Amino acid sequence: MKTLRVASYGIWGSVGDALTPEVVIDLAAAFGTFSDGGRVLVGRDTRRSSPMFHAAVVSGLLSTGCEVLDFGVCPTPLLQFFVRQYKAAGAISVSAAHARMGMNALALINSGGAFIEPVGGEAVQDIFHAKNFSHKPWDGIGKVRAVTDFADAYLDALCGFLDAASIRKAKFKVIIDPVNGAGCRFLPPFAERLGFTLIPINSEESDHLGHDAEPRPRNANQVAALMRVVKADVGFVSSSDMGRLSLVSETGETASEEYTFPLIAAYVLARRSGTLVTNCCTTRTVDKVAAKYGANIIKTRVGQAYIMAALADEDGVIGGEGNGSVALPAFSRACDAFLMMGLVLEAMALRQKTVSALLGELPRYHIVKKRVYGETRQCYRALENILEKQAWQAGGIVDLMEGVRVDWPDGWVHLRTSDTEPIIRIISESESVELAENRAVEFVRMLEQVL
Amino acid sequence: MKDFLKVGISGVRGVVGETITPQLAASFARAFGSFVGQGEVLVGRDTRPTGYMLEQAVVAGLQSVGISVGLTGIVATPTVCHLVAERRARGAILITASHNPVQWNALKFIGQNGMFINQKLADEFFDVYHQGEFKLAPEEGIHKARVIEDPVRTHFEKIIRYVDAARIRGRKFKVAVDCCNGVGALYSRLFLEKLGCEVVTCCDNPNGIFEREPEPLPENLSALGELVRREKCDIGFAQDPDGDRLAIVNEKGEPIGEDQTLAFAVRQVIDHHGKGPVVIHLSTSLGVQWIAEQRGCPVTRAKIGEINVSTKMMEIGSVVGGEGNGGVIIPAIIYCRDSFVGMAVVLELMAMANRTVSQLRDEIPRYSLSKEKMRVQGDRVPALLRRLRREYAGYPLNLSDGVHVTLKDSWFHVRASNTEPVMRVVGEAPTREEAVNLTASVMAQIRQWMAEK
Repeated sequence: MKTLRVASYGIWGSVGDALTPEVVIDLAAAFGTFSDGGRVLVGRDTRRSSPMFHAAVVSGLLSTGCEVLDFGVCPTPLLQFFVRQYKAAGAISVSAAHARMGMNALALINSGGAFIEPVGGEAVQDIFHAKNFSHKPWDGIGKVRAVTDFADAYLDALCGFLDAASIRKAKFKVIIDPVNGAGCRFLPPFAERLGFTLIPINSEESDHLGHDAEPRPRNANQVAALMRVVKADVGFVSSSDMGRLSLVSETGETASEEYTFPLIAAYVLARRSGTLVTNCCTTRTVDKVAAKYGANIIKTRVGQAYIMAALADEDGVIGGEGNGSVALPAFSRACDAFLMMGLVLEAMALRQKTVSALLGELPRYHIVKKRVYGETRQCYRALENILEKQAWQAGGIVDLMEGVRVDWPDGWVHLRTSDTEPIIRIISESESVELAENRAVEFVRMLEQVL
Repeated sequence: MKDFLKVGISGVRGVVGETITPQLAASFARAFGSFVGQGEVLVGRDTRPTGYMLEQAVVAGLQSVGISVGLTGIVATPTVCHLVAERRARGAILITASHNPVQWNALKFIGQNGMFINQKLADEFFDVYHQGEFKLAPEEGIHKARVIEDPVRTHFEKIIRYVDAARIRGRKFKVAVDCCNGVGALYSRLFLEKLGCEVVTCCDNPNGIFEREPEPLPENLSALGELVRREKCDIGFAQDPDGDRLAIVNEKGEPIGEDQTLAFAVRQVIDHHGKGPVVIHLSTSLGVQWIAEQRGCPVTRAKIGEINVSTKMMEIGSVVGGEGNGGVIIPAIIYCRDSFVGMAVVLELMAMANRTVSQLRDEIPRYSLSKEKMRVQGDRVPALLRRLRREYAGYPLNLSDGVHVTLKDSWFHVRASNTEPVMRVVGEAPTREEAVNLTASVMAQIRQWMAEK
C-alpha cells in the first residue's frame, strides 16, 4: 500500500510508489539548507533500497554545501553518538528501523545527536515544501569523506560508561538477533569487550531481513526456541537500526517489548533517581516503577523526538517508550540497543539475578490491542464523535495529548489514529484480563458505530 | 548567463546550483532508466568538482526504476562508450560538460550501441521525462550499483592491438600532454607509456579546476608549446576535460590547428588500416577532404553534431571520420570521438612515415577558415536559406543543415544557430584574405535580400 509520511523528525514511506530519490534529495537539501552548509553525518542500514537513498541524501547535502562524513552501514544510535564527537551540525540516518521490508525512512538528527526537535523539524519541512534550497555553485558544494573503523571509539565509550568488569566476570552466554540489519558487524567486538559468549542469529548483513524488524514476542520465536537448548542467560532481538530491543528470558519467555523500558528504568533509577520521560500510551508498569523509586514522570506525545526534547528540557535521567526503546542522556541522546543490552547485562551481573527474576519484579498488567478500519479522514472525525459522547468517560481522566486517553483507577484506554495505516489503534490496559478485553471490545463497538 | 538550461540532443547542460541540481539529475536519470528498459546502465564522469554529487543523484534515479548501475568512475567519454558496447549495456549517462567552463556540468546520454542518442531517440526520451510517469521498482526490484574494475583496460587494449604498437615503441617518442585537468590526467601517461613513449605532462592535476580554457584551440596551448620546447619533445597532445577531443602541437611547440588532428588520422587509417568512405561535418576543413579524395576515398559531409557524424558513418560503413574540432572517430574501436585512438594513430603515422609533425603538416594544403555570424529574426531564416539555395543551384549543394555550397577550392556554409538567434556563416578558402572575402560577400548578399522586404 502506498504510504508516505513527512514528519518533523524525517520522512518515511513505501519504496517504489511514494518514497523516491527525488523526495529524498529534496529533504536532504532542505536539511542541508537548514544546517547552513555545516558538517553532516550520513549512515544507513542494510536494506535493499538503503544504498539508493543514501546516495540521494549525500547528493542533496553536497548541493547545499554540507561537508558529508559518510559512515556507510551504521546503526542509527551510533550515528547519533558521533554527531557530538565530530562536532557536526547534524546527521541523517537512512533506515526503516522497525518497519517491514518495502519501506524506508530518513531520520533527521540535530547537533546534539537527538532526533530533531519539532520546532527545528518544522523549519526543515517549510524549506522542503517551498523548495527553498540554498543550492551552491561549483566552488561552494560540499566535500565527502568516508569514516570507517569508528566501532572502537564507540564501544570504548559505551564500555567505559557500563560496569564492564562486572559484566565480564559473569561470563554470560547471550543470543542476539539483529535481524540482518546495521548492528551485525558490531556484535562480535561488543561481545568481546563485555566478555560474554555471543550466539548470533540473523546476524549476517543482508538486504533480506530474517523476519519482521519490529522487536516483539512474535518476532522473537527463533531466539526463544534456542534459549534452553544452548543454556543462554538472555536473548535480545533488535530492530534493523538498533534503536529498539526486546528481551527473551533464560526460560524462553518472549517478554513484551513494553517491559524493556521499565526493566532498565528500575535498575537505573534504583541507583540514581531523577526525572523519567515516556509517552502517553506506555504501560502503567512504568508509572509504578517511577513511583517506587521516587522519580518524577513526564509524559509526551509518541515518538523519540518528543521524548528527547522533554529529557533535555527537564534534565531527565532516563527516557523511553513501550516499543522497546530506552535512552540515557548521560551516555547519548539516542535510543540505543547496545546501551540497552549493556544495562540489562549489568543489572543481571550486579544484582545477580536472572532475566526472569528481573521481569518478575515488575508489576505486570494485561494489555489488549485492537484496531478498527476506516479512511484517514473518517478516523479523525470518529475520535471527535466519541469525545462528544460523555457517558463512558465517567470517573476517568481524559487526556488529549495524542488521540484520546482515559485513565480510570483500574486501567486505561488509548485511542489513536495510526500514522501508517488507515486504522484507529485501541490499547486497553488493566490488572484484569476481562476488564481490559471488555473495555477494548466496547470501544471497537462504539467506533464502528460512528464510522 | 543565469538560469541557463539547455536540454537537447547533446544532453542536459547548465550551471551547477542554478539549473543543474541533484533533483534535476535524478529526474532525468529516472526517465532515462525508464526509457532504455531493464538492464545495465553505466555511469561515468569527468574530473569536475561537481561530478561526484551529480553521480550520486544519477545512480539513485536509475536504481529507483530497477536499473543495474555500473560505475566507471572518472574515465574518458569514449571509454564509457566502449564499455557500453562491450558489455552490451542498455546505455550510459555521462556527467561531463566537455569543454564548458568549470561552473557548468551536464548529463549526456549514450544509447545501446555506445553512441550518443540521436535526435529521434532524444525526442522519445524527453517525452518520457515530460510525461513524468515512471514505473518505480518496489524494494525487491532495486539492484546494487557495482563498481567496474579497471574500466580503461579493454578500451586501451583494443586501441593498442589496432595500431602497430611495436613500430611505435621502436621509435621511443618523447611526448608532452596537456591533460586540461581532466580525465587525461589519470590515464594519458599510462596509455602512452604502453606505446613506449617518454611522457611529460602539464595541466595534469585531475581536479577539474582548469588551468587553461578547456577547448584545445591554438590560443589555449601556450603552456604545452613551452613544455614541448623545454623538454625537446617530438610532439605535444592537448586533450579536453572528458578526453574526446585532441589537438596537436608540433616539435617546435607550435599548435598546428585542431582540424589537422583529423587530417592526420584520416591519412593514416586510409594508408595503413584499409580504404573506405570518410565522413566529416559540414564545417570541417577542406584539408581533410583533400587527404581522403587524393587517396580515392569518397567524402560525405554530415550535419553538425557528433551523433550526426557517427550515424552517417555507420550508415555508409565509413572507416574513419570525425569533426574538425579535434574529434577523431575510428569505428574499428568505437563510434565516438576518442583522443586516445587519435594519439595512437598520429604516433603510428609519425613512426611509419618517419617524418616530424611539421613535415607531415606541410604535406597537407593550407586553407583558412572564416567564421561569422549575423543577427536575423528567426522567422525570416527559412526564406533566406531558400533564396540562397536557388541562387547557387548550379553548384554542389548539401542541404542537410542549412545551405552548404562547394565552390572551386573553397566552400561556405550558412545555417541557423542552435543556441543563439543568429545565422552562422562559415567559409574556407586557400588564403585568409579569400576566406574573409567569401564570407563577407555571402553576408552582403543576404543583407541585401533582407532589405528588399
